[in-house]
Amino acid sequence: MTKSRKTFIIILSTILIMLLALLFLFPLIWMIASSMKSESSIYNDLGGIKAFLPGLNPAQWGSAYQKLLGRFNILRFILNSVLYALAVTLGSVLVNSAAGYAFSKFDFRGKKILFGLLIASMVVPGDTIMIQKFQIVKILHLINSPWAVIFPAVAGAFNIYMFKNFFDQVSDSIVESAELDGASAFTIYWRVLLPMAKPVIATVGTLSFIGSWNDYIWPLMVLTDADKFPLQIAITNINNTQPVYMNQVMAILTISTVPLVLIYMFFQKYLVQGLAVAGNGDK
Amino acid sequence: MNKRKVLGVLGITVLTSLVLAGCSSKSKADGKDVTMWVQYSKTDPEGKAMAKNITAFNKENKKGYHATVQYIPRNSSGGGYEDKVNAALNAGNLPDVLTLDGPNTAAYAKNKIIQPLDKYITNKSDILPSIISQGTYKGKLYSIGYSESGVGIYYNKRMFKDAGIQESSIPTLKNPWDWNQFMAICAKLKAKYNAPAIDMQIQDHSEMSLYAFAPFVWSAGGNITNKNGTKSIGYFNSKESQTAFQFIQDMVKKDYTTTTPVNKAFQTGKYPMMLSGSWTITELNTSYKHLDYGMLPYPVSPMTHKLVSPTGSWQYAMTTSTTKKKAAGALVNFLSSTKQEYRTSMTMSTLPARKSVSKLMEDKVDPSLRFLMEQNILSGHARPVLVNYPQVTRTFADTVTKTTYYKQNPNIAKLLKKQATTIQSYLK
Amino acid sequence: MSRLGKRQNQAWFFLAPAIIVLGLFLFIPSIISFCYSFTDFNMLAPKLAAFVGIANYLKLFKDPIFMKSLKNIVQFVAFVLPIQVGTALGLALIVNKKRPFNMFYKVAFFAPVVVSLAVTSILWMYILNPSQGILNSLLAKVGISAQPFLNSSKQAMFAIIFLSAWQACGNQMIIFLAGLQNIPKSLYEAADLDGAGKWATFRNITLPLLKPTTVLILTTTFIDAFKMMTQAMIMTQGGPLNSTMTPLYYIYRTGFTDRQLGYASAMSVVYGFGIILFTIVQRKVTRADEGSGQ
Repeated sequence: MTKSRKTFIIILSTILIMLLALLFLFPLIWMIASSMKSESSIYNDLGGIKAFLPGLNPAQWGSAYQKLLGRFNILRFILNSVLYALAVTLGSVLVNSAAGYAFSKFDFRGKKILFGLLIASMVVPGDTIMIQKFQIVKILHLINSPWAVIFPAVAGAFNIYMFKNFFDQVSDSIVESAELDGASAFTIYWRVLLPMAKPVIATVGTLSFIGSWNDYIWPLMVLTDADKFPLQIAITNINNTQPVYMNQVMAILTISTVPLVLIYMFFQKYLVQGLAVAGNGDK
Repeated sequence: MNKRKVLGVLGITVLTSLVLAGCSSKSKADGKDVTMWVQYSKTDPEGKAMAKNITAFNKENKKGYHATVQYIPRNSSGGGYEDKVNAALNAGNLPDVLTLDGPNTAAYAKNKIIQPLDKYITNKSDILPSIISQGTYKGKLYSIGYSESGVGIYYNKRMFKDAGIQESSIPTLKNPWDWNQFMAICAKLKAKYNAPAIDMQIQDHSEMSLYAFAPFVWSAGGNITNKNGTKSIGYFNSKESQTAFQFIQDMVKKDYTTTTPVNKAFQTGKYPMMLSGSWTITELNTSYKHLDYGMLPYPVSPMTHKLVSPTGSWQYAMTTSTTKKKAAGALVNFLSSTKQEYRTSMTMSTLPARKSVSKLMEDKVDPSLRFLMEQNILSGHARPVLVNYPQVTRTFADTVTKTTYYKQNPNIAKLLKKQATTIQSYLK
Repeated sequence: MSRLGKRQNQAWFFLAPAIIVLGLFLFIPSIISFCYSFTDFNMLAPKLAAFVGIANYLKLFKDPIFMKSLKNIVQFVAFVLPIQVGTALGLALIVNKKRPFNMFYKVAFFAPVVVSLAVTSILWMYILNPSQGILNSLLAKVGISAQPFLNSSKQAMFAIIFLSAWQACGNQMIIFLAGLQNIPKSLYEAADLDGAGKWATFRNITLPLLKPTTVLILTTTFIDAFKMMTQAMIMTQGGPLNSTMTPLYYIYRTGFTDRQLGYASAMSVVYGFGIILFTIVQRKVTRADEGSGQ
């Protein structure tokens, strides 16, 4: 292959992949562009390339955001959402890794059945058992407590499965030599295995964060106090209070989506490493 | 029956019975502090108006009652808020007073979730008839709407003029247009602009369908069910009802309206007319200020010339589980009094639910809103009060959708007969 | 061996948090739901629930909408599985090679996953609007007449299939990427020395070594696809004429909108066991395939 031909192929493939990337990115662009123009121009621009560009008048770019801030205590909602998501992330990493450790490094009675149940639980659709879940929360006296939002989200079959697969790949000799040094089961988990599991932690953490951030109905059901509501409730509200102002809807969606994209950008390297483990362990 | 009930309870496992037991032991009666749930956010205009009303209640009532409100913003279909009410019902922690959408009255009343309000509400004769019939189940008033809604035909004045439609042929509330006159104007507009004449939101499969199109059925003298809500065959597929659905089908067939409208086609000046609710006025006045629009009445059946228009609203009700009837009753009565309803309707630009509020608002509101207020008083018709309303309204919407597929369903009589049978299966 | 003896009990210490959480918020609610399925539980009258035996189960097999929804979901899964997994593999192969702007591609392909499903559904409704959506104006430029998309009982499901694959494939792309990076580079170098072509390398090295990853992806995508609901709920409400009604959406609607929790529970029990059965069969098939491949 000549050099110029090689350059040509690189340029061509770059253009083609760029177009493909845009196919995946365009709703995001549309969302951001629409948040930066007036209501009527959103609809007038639909169907053309102008739909993906912000309004012509830069002075107007922030006006939807300004109106939004006047309508809701957005900062409070964001703070709540961040707190819930962080708590869920932390809890999810600890609870699922501990369970994964137990499934991987211990032999106990009923392990097979328990693991089978766990895998089967992946098919249970969360939305259809909401009422029953709520009854449990009521018995536990957790209504209107942030814990009601956090607790149910910290354990998940897929996450336990990922940790188990990772720990499966850690050779037993490492565990055994630590044991010979007199380390307890907890020390082995906390000081030996968990530090090795950074990629899985990043993966489970990111996915838990995204899941918690996007949850709407459950927080609304268990929380009664508006000061505790997460951002998604504000989004639904803005999207459903007549008249709906599309530019404000797009503005709040932008506010809620951009942090997730940033988090993903930071962690995507680990995410890939973490998932490598999940795929590999399935034997 | 009793035996089956016992079996049922046994069947629901030890755990569930624990749940049920847990909820029947209610907190002790204090008698003065009442809680209330509402379906909007605290920071919405509606929420702010409510906060003011509650402050007024807490200050002005002489019995020492104290009310607190929880704001539970709903999503479009009532989800979120209604899911929460359902869950609370099953867990036994409903508030003393709650809001509910009009069509829920029958189901809530039948299942003894809410109790009659008759003896707590004063000045009943002032309330619009549509509000009373919406809240009445088996002869008793169970819930009371605090504002009204309505639908009209918005029209673009310039587009009408450019199409050569005479001022004199534009209908009024006193002299409405019948379906034939309406279609004649649609024909003119369609010819001029080569686009559908009106966005009727006919593609909306949600509650909007029955809400907006049942008035055509009523105008023709047809009905969805009989008066007691026990029979649908012979009513939903009566000759009169058929004419209404025929009208809808003709509108689609002749391309006067479309099942695939351009988004905001009326707002952006692409279609000359739109059928929509009172909420659109605010939208037009804030986001589409350049649009010169007016309001036209509902088209009426050429057989009867009877003007019928949609109504419906969210309402207040008192739960059966409350131990503070007097305080809760006082709160509902206070919130649905003239002064408080005036505050809500003015901030929300919604239609009033009382004649006295209507009088107070008349001179202060947008002409389009005033038009809808007048239409409401003249011709407002409440939706039927049925226990299985969710299924009935869905079947209605389904019927409208099928009507618009005119190639597959050319025979309206046959279609309606089938749909009436479906509705009847829900009327138990 | 220490692993069998004294440490058996310690396992429960590490399992306890997960068991408690899953037990309370998943297993017990599921058991309650199972019990409800034998009653005529109406959400508005919880205390009047009566035992009705297997009446709900008999009813659901005669329920035309439930049956239709089963047919729909099979159609959905049959199409979305190959499209989504195939696209994901393609994307993973693209970003696995060192290229300029690689980071940007990875973010772009993953972006639809991050935006919540409710949001993407709304965006696509605008894109697919028959009268003014971007897609139809693009089609017009190449001379194809306007399509009804979501308004047609024939096209709506395919629109949803496409959008679902588009939305979720970024997720599987990452898992594939992880699998690709696990393949030792030395194997490729050896193949290169042997003079193997690109296609041969892909077929003989990449694909077989990607098998475990593929099995995992197929299983999770398979289960997720059976749980499809949000897209149909927001974009078409199951219509037109129930052509996009999915079992989960129908269960949700029956339980929450129509308040018949007893009947809805029976449907979820049947459907849940159905998916488990299907998954087992699907895994058996892919595994047998795996065995013969090696």
